Amino acid sequence: MKRTFPLILVFVFGILGIIPFFVPHPVVQNADGFLRNEFLRILVAFALVLGLGSLLKVHIDKIKRRRENWQYSWILIISFLISAIIGLFGGVRGTGILPTSIGSFQFDIWTIYWNVVMPLGSTMFALLAFFMASAAYRAFRARSTEATLLLAAAFVVMLGVLPLGDRISPHLPSFAQWIMDVPNVAGQRGILFGVALGALATALKIILGIERSWLGGGRE
Amino acid sequence: MKIIETLTNIDRRIIYLILLIVVLLPLLFPSVEKVRVMAPVEKLYYAIDTIPSEKAVIVDFDYEPQTAPELDPMGFAILRHVFERRIKLLVLSLYVQPLGLAQNALTQVTEEFNSVAKTNADSIIYGRDYVFLGWVPPPIIPILGMAESITSVYTVDYYGNQTDTLPLMQEVTNYNDVGLLVSLSGSDIPKWWVAYAQSRFGLPVGAGITAVSASEFYPYLQTGQFSGLLVGMKGGAEYEEMVERTLKIKVRRKASEALLSLTYAHLVMILFIVIGNIGYFAKRRKK
Repeated sequence: MKRTFPLILVFVFGILGIIPFFVPHPVVQNADGFLRNEFLRILVAFALVLGLGSLLKVHIDKIKRRRENWQYSWILIISFLISAIIGLFGGVRGTGILPTSIGSFQFDIWTIYWNVVMPLGSTMFALLAFFMASAAYRAFRARSTEATLLLAAAFVVMLGVLPLGDRISPHLPSFAQWIMDVPNVAGQRGILFGVALGALATALKIILGIERSWLGGGRE
Repeated sequence: MKIIETLTNIDRRIIYLILLIVVLLPLLFPSVEKVRVMAPVEKLYYAIDTIPSEKAVIVDFDYEPQTAPELDPMGFAILRHVFERRIKLLVLSLYVQPLGLAQNALTQVTEEFNSVAKTNADSIIYGRDYVFLGWVPPPIIPILGMAESITSVYTVDYYGNQTDTLPLMQEVTNYNDVGLLVSLSGSDIPKWWVAYAQSRFGLPVGAGITAVSASEFYPYLQTGQFSGLLVGMKGGAEYEEMVERTLKIKVRRKASEALLSLTYAHLVMILFIVIGNIGYFAKRRKK
């Protein structure tokens, strides 16, 4: 029963998710609307609580067992608690249940967003440019014909997307655009077909109960 | 021999330092780079420009602080275009993080317009000209649900107002009243709009994406599933160029200013790749 019930649930809701795409009848569409607008929202709220609980459990466990890099779990837990407290009491923009400001400084989600999330996020992404430059210098070698072609295409696209490319030759941006529009699209389309067919096969296997690894390794 | 060794083993800190200088200098002394507007950007511009007056445009701000330098200028330029043409506007995010950036863009652009407005009709007024719907999780609910009724998915807007009391929402009830949706994102989100909202309900979709993810979006442009595509800083700069040239809106063009940084950074990368290859071939010949 422990495994059968989830399998039945996945089968029923998997099929219910597919049918509205093919049956435009109002009864089906209304049922789909109800499932999405009412049912799914409640489900997501539970999933959120479950997810947060699970996240905390994993990191508390990591600290207890002193697993590799366990110190970082403290940062996560402390940040989690601070954000939760500020969010609960300060609200999004000082609209929480308690006044949480000192002078003009407000402890609310907006403050965290602009003073913590923004600079940290931007910093992480900005570092990419340095790593990319260093990695390209070390690894981007014309070792074979394919690598040389890739290198040439990269140079054309890199220059073509810049105003400088237009100054070098008015054909360069058009050529860069052609590389993106034709050879790139041809390759991407092949990948897309492969991914779509793979996803379809996996989804069907899960809905029909053939693929059961998502159930975990518990006993029947 | 020593030269070859030096060419193939430049210390990474030197690369970082040079890159830092070439990126930083043009940002400290900004100048606007003129760009040639390419077809994908032009397509999106005219897709917005030709939206019938009874229809609205939805702008989906779905990028996070990491990708804001690339995508913010697109968002600002599109908002300016939409407000200048007095097209009805709905703004939303499928995730919670981009809400702050969306609100920031809306506040700044509405202030730009309202600071020069002489009458009430000239002003950009919340509820009449635009509505900030905010965020409803999970993403599939608004994407599919707005086809039936926007106000039943977003019962309250970002500011807590009942959406069905806002004048604009009396005119825009579902996708039938929407001429175009523009998704600005650093992830796969524009594809979701195509997969769920366009394939099932025929909603026209345009996209603004980061340069690093551009290659995977071109198939959708070629098939016409995207009404237009803005790619990276250059896409933003091209849209800014279109807005300035056709609508005569003269404001600070952040993407166009950043292009010089991007140019130098690309040149430095090309230079280092060339140096690395010279060293590699010299070493190979020696062997």
